[in-house]
Amino acid sequence: MSVESKVKDIIADQLEVAVDKLSKETTFEDIDADSLDIVELVMALEEEFDLEISDQEIENINSVGDVVKYIESKV
Amino acid sequence: MLNIFKNMCLKYPIMQGGMAVRVSTAPLAGAVASAGGVGIIAATGMTVDELRNEIREARRIAMNGTIGVNVMFAVRNFAELVKTALQEKVDLVVSGAGFSRDIFSWGKEAEIPILTIVSTSRLAKIAEKYGASAVIAEGSEAGGHLGTELSTAAIVPEIKSAVNIPVIAAGGITYENDIVEMMRLGADGVQMATRFVLSKECTVADSFKAHYLNAREEDVVIIKSPVGLPGRAIRNVFSEALARGEHPTINCDNCLKVCSHEYCILEALENSRLGHIDQGVVFSGQNVFKMKEILSVKEIFQNLRGAFSIKSK
Repeated sequence: MSVESKVKDIIADQLEVAVDKLSKETTFEDIDADSLDIVELVMALEEEFDLEISDQEIENINSVGDVVKYIESKV
Repeated sequence: MLNIFKNMCLKYPIMQGGMAVRVSTAPLAGAVASAGGVGIIAATGMTVDELRNEIREARRIAMNGTIGVNVMFAVRNFAELVKTALQEKVDLVVSGAGFSRDIFSWGKEAEIPILTIVSTSRLAKIAEKYGASAVIAEGSEAGGHLGTELSTAAIVPEIKSAVNIPVIAAGGITYENDIVEMMRLGADGVQMATRFVLSKECTVADSFKAHYLNAREEDVVIIKSPVGLPGRAIRNVFSEALARGEHPTINCDNCLKVCSHEYCILEALENSRLGHIDQGVVFSGQNVFKMKEILSVKEIFQNLRGAFSIKSK
């Protein structure tokens, strides 16, 4: 499974949106994710990919594509 | 007694809430710590050097007292302020208005408890998972930036049942019987802020305290803060202008990570603290109108301590 599809699965699961509604361009604003949703999403991502994401890195993550790019740079 | 406070010289599980900008500084925090509570210096809006001096001054006032620092996550120098507090070996650090994850590893490294201000059981659980030593459950009666429309009495039992760490109730607590009620609802301690503004030791301008004393119930309003949160404040010329959609021009130094730039909240808070009430925001809790006198911190504690003798019976 590619990083992108794994990330989309986690986002869909965490934020309760349909996977097929998510593209790389989808921003968290588009899917009404608040700051707590983002924290919970980051927790799930850290668990799945076994990494630690800092506060500052989170600030730069605004879309599905940002998450994929970030994870790909780390794993 | 709160397990996070063991080994600390704490007579009462009463924290004085952090109040920025420069409303809760060393003289107030030191007096609260001397009286047997937790004195909190609000670091938001301070430089690192200023915070260091405040911590040392509070320590000088209350040699064996419990001193903590409160930092709002939304402020740009959040990391520097928290790290300064940890270097100065404060007894605890409180963070609110946004959720930092990094703060927990810093606290762990320094072996200093981190407390998170929460308004939902959801955030309380996340904070616990990351290693918060306690959560401060802040309801809508609180002053300043608000995270919920639910009352303190509504959120405390819910948060208490969601986590295994101590829960400190905050928002609207004024009298001894309020503390008794919060303990009955499951709180392990309380945080009070507005009550301590009306103390002899609080260093805000006399006109700021007068604005508190003159407030009627209907004067306590909700304003929009550029941080992106609603804030509870006492109606004044400034809040009326905001309500009409008028905003003062700002000299921005980008002090917040996220800001609408509609006006400068730090400048507005600093103005009111200095006594320029018309040009500033006067944050306050909902029950400010119930308090009609300025007391010493010692007297405030004397009026509250009955809450704990009742409990121990």
